[in-house]
Amino acid sequence: MGIMPAAVRNSEIFVVVPAFNEGPVIRATLRPLIELGYSIVVVDDGSKDQTWKYLKDLNVHRLRHSFNLGQGAALQSAVSYALAQGAKYIVHFDADGQHSIEDIPGLLAPVISGRADVALGSRFLRRADWETVPPTRRLLLKGAVAVNWLLTGLWLTDAHNGARALTRRAAQRIVLRENGFAHATEILQQIRALGLRHIECPTRIRYTDYSLLKGQRFWHAFDVFVDLLIRRVLR
Amino acid sequence: MTPIQILLILAAVVVLLVYFNRLRSRLLDRVLFFLLAVLAVVMVARPDWANAVAHFLGVGRGADLVVYLGITGLAFLWLSLYTRQREMDVRLTELARRLAILQAEKPKGKKKGKKVSSE
Repeated sequence: MGIMPAAVRNSEIFVVVPAFNEGPVIRATLRPLIELGYSIVVVDDGSKDQTWKYLKDLNVHRLRHSFNLGQGAALQSAVSYALAQGAKYIVHFDADGQHSIEDIPGLLAPVISGRADVALGSRFLRRADWETVPPTRRLLLKGAVAVNWLLTGLWLTDAHNGARALTRRAAQRIVLRENGFAHATEILQQIRALGLRHIECPTRIRYTDYSLLKGQRFWHAFDVFVDLLIRRVLR
Repeated sequence: MTPIQILLILAAVVVLLVYFNRLRSRLLDRVLFFLLAVLAVVMVARPDWANAVAHFLGVGRGADLVVYLGITGLAFLWLSLYTRQREMDVRLTELARRLAILQAEKPKGKKKGKKVSSE
């Protein structure tokens, strides 16, 4: 066992939540996070619905993109802001309520103890977690795992899992340029390129009708692949 | 001179004029664009010259040569426009991000965070 890490106040932990048209669920997603005393940064990514209005009276930092830029862009805005506010640790958390707050301490533990710079959520580490993943999605995700490996050299158990925890330093060094969903792969690319230490931690994904409807669909995967390919060729 | 030649030459002249009139750009671009327009007019006015160049390059007809070069040119154009589009996206993102951060609204409620993380 290493040295016991100094106690970290939850307010020094910034949970960043990119939100695009999440009006129906955003409050339900944020409420338990607020209860735990985390600092919360929500970026309304140019939503067309009432997302912004629903945030008004909540105890969170609220940012709004003038127009929709994409989840990667929203995430980067949230992280830049959180760092400027003095965040010691950053947690990525999706707005649609698919993640469970119970998994956050598990993601933070290796990052706070110094065992890793970045903790990546995986829904395939605990049997109870992956059993709830719909079979077609399992297949798609495992395909994405292979694509990620081809593009980044990192073989993980999960792909496009929005739950992550980062040290301040890692969050400063990872700069997302992919505005769309390709940021999930871009993060891995940068982890590799920057030589950051990563670890996978179990997370439960709640598949509701809402999250399935809003979640990435098959053609999204194709878009992402084209984005990444074009980037490789043109840069 | 056939009607199509007149039409094409007129088109080349109009495009050139519009370019010079509407789009301010670097001198080099203007010179290049002017030469391109002159070349187009010459090719249209003297198809036999175009044919001679085509034969020299191993292409059957001048018109075919123009099509091949045209497609290649369009591909380059598409690429440069696409690259510029990506650059614009980056700038636009930066702008929207700065605005969002500048106009960020902080939590209104009292500070929580007395609790200590389990680790």
